[in-house]
Amino acid sequence: MTSADDGERDGGDMNILAGEYVLGVLPLAERQRVEARLRDDRVLAAAVAGWERDLSALNAEYGEATPPASTLAKVEARLFAAASVSAGRSPFMSIWNSLLLWRSLAFASVAALIGYLALADISASPSANAPLVAQLSGDKEGSLTLLARYDASSGRLQLTPISAGPAAEHSLELWLVPGGENPAISLGVLPQTGEGAVEVPAQLRPRLGEGVTFAVSLEPLGGSPDGKPTGPVIAVGKAHQTF
Amino acid sequence: MSSESEIAALIQRLALRDRAALAQLYNTVSPKLFGVCMRILRDRSDAEDALQEVFVKIWQRADRFSLAGTSPVGWMVAIARNHSIDKLRSRKPLGDSLDAAREIADTGRDPEAHTVLKSEGRRVDRCMGELEADRADAVRNAYVEGLSYQELAERYSVPLNTMRTWLRRSLLKLRECLDR
Repeated sequence: MTSADDGERDGGDMNILAGEYVLGVLPLAERQRVEARLRDDRVLAAAVAGWERDLSALNAEYGEATPPASTLAKVEARLFAAASVSAGRSPFMSIWNSLLLWRSLAFASVAALIGYLALADISASPSANAPLVAQLSGDKEGSLTLLARYDASSGRLQLTPISAGPAAEHSLELWLVPGGENPAISLGVLPQTGEGAVEVPAQLRPRLGEGVTFAVSLEPLGGSPDGKPTGPVIAVGKAHQTF
Repeated sequence: MSSESEIAALIQRLALRDRAALAQLYNTVSPKLFGVCMRILRDRSDAEDALQEVFVKIWQRADRFSLAGTSPVGWMVAIARNHSIDKLRSRKPLGDSLDAAREIADTGRDPEAHTVLKSEGRRVDRCMGELEADRADAVRNAYVEGLSYQELAERYSVPLNTMRTWLRRSLLKLRECLDR
């Protein structure tokens, strides 16, 4: 049995090709040919599905490994930033555009960070006094990592830096991105270190819940000149209350 | 890990574009999927990039997840394996070409260092048992580690064409046994 690789297979060979594909032994070009065929070749697709089902018992051989803490935030930023852009027209698109721009710079700049905001909701009720704890973290040298703690009873959002942020010629501005067609709302300029507390205005407090996005952008010293985010977003994260 | 039905329900919520479900699913299955990416790519940074891609694909394909197919974890592991293997192959385009067919003599690598599957008497294990031991081993290593024909030939110190023949015959026998 020598090479019969290029489109000469049929019948019983179909099952072998499907098996080779599922095992993963084929070179890239052949894998891609199989994947292209899978879109409209239902017989081949069924053969692949059969192998995947039958060999899945071997998945027990894979152990578990802990991924970096920032990975989920990166996934969310990619999926939901893209969704916002395709939705278009939104007045806070600039925040997402700058995020995409930043992403395309491939972690090259000091702003190389997507924050991960995990709102660990201790209590079942958002109005309870238990604080919400959030971490905006980056994984690159020189990136900004912040710990945020929101006390719903006082409306105070306390931010504590864990690692140093970007160089000092910019201000860090914290934004609430409410979602939908609503523009980003400034929650204030953070001190250069990232350390500080933000008094969340009373009318905004009900909006601190599931589905809101927080972002930190780099702005000219003193903050955005026009009340909208203008600089690159160096940290962004979504609030979840799922646990 | 949550039950299969809970994980299936999370995937169905992804199809409804439920972002909270994504975080929940991530927390539940990312260690397993990262384990898959690490095992195949053998590089932490590549594996992390792969894991991102895998979850993007899971989100995008959630509406095609079918309860009638494999288990929900099996479905996601297949996505992780396929993506990791594609990355692996594109990382080393030359050595893997079947046309390049460099016959490797004996590099004499010892095919010992792999875990023996803790068999639970499943069908595939029984059928693997009907293969010669080293051929079953080659099938298992191809699947688990994403080895190419070339790498398998090197590991088992056989010419590339021999390895290809071995593996195809093994697949044929496996298919017959599995369909029995």
